Amino acid sequence: MNPSRGKAEAARRLRDTIAAQFGRSLHIRTLDTGSCAVCEQEIRLLAAPHYDLQRLGFFFTPAPRHADLLLVTGPMIRAFDVAARKTYEAMPGPKVVVATGACALGGVYPKDPFVHGNVGEVLPVDVWIPGCPPSPLALLQGLGVAVGRLAERTPGLTFIAGPAADGGEA
Amino acid sequence: MPLWFVRGLRRGVVTTRYPARRDDSAAWLPTPPAFRSRQLTREAADRMVAVCPSLALSRRDDILVFDVGACTACGWCAEAAPDVVTSSGEFELAATVRSALIKEIPIQGDEP
Repeated sequence: MNPSRGKAEAARRLRDTIAAQFGRSLHIRTLDTGSCAVCEQEIRLLAAPHYDLQRLGFFFTPAPRHADLLLVTGPMIRAFDVAARKTYEAMPGPKVVVATGACALGGVYPKDPFVHGNVGEVLPVDVWIPGCPPSPLALLQGLGVAVGRLAERTPGLTFIAGPAADGGEA
Repeated sequence: MPLWFVRGLRRGVVTTRYPARRDDSAAWLPTPPAFRSRQLTREAADRMVAVCPSLALSRRDDILVFDVGACTACGWCAEAAPDVVTSSGEFELAATVRSALIKEIPIQGDEP
């Protein structure tokens, strides 16, 4: 199989996965934990005509209650701990957390006492997207990986209330 | 305005087909460096480790440890050791495990 066929196949699978699991409406909540806002600029570009995120079934939402995917930028400043946890807990499961950019991955401020320097110390991160900032293309690829994780988690639903209700995580 | 109308008709749809097809604009992206393992000496590695502003590089004996997640693609290592560093051109880097982004590059330039 030639590589472009493979990629077309991957894109089709991504679309089908989102369509099947989330009715073509996977909603993204962005969370800025002290970022310099360049990551946000790149995320905003995803909604612009060139990248047109909606064609793949992704949407941005301001409400964590409506979100399936938490897109975290910034080095996770310590003052933001409570807000970050509350945002995560407000989201219904199954949910994925995507750490975006070198700050969130522990790159830019590795030794600053005011930040955790790594989103993974506060939230259970599922996908890491490197880049400073990650380009919209890199974000699209990362979202594809995240959907794969979400799809893995969805069949794990037992419909039994309690801690196991959202795929075994707290 | 008519000029823009004509231009719009000529250039057609602006939306990228990515991820179904390749996007040509990816060629202009700043991407993390790639290291030529055979030319890489300990001395060059130490020079790069010293200039890396985001502490993405470190040396462990004969291995250059490169944390792609911490790299900001600033290009300082390429300036410090221009014969060793090239651009990787790779932007599809998302990983599900953080440690998958830490690469180990063997230092082979010191071998005879």
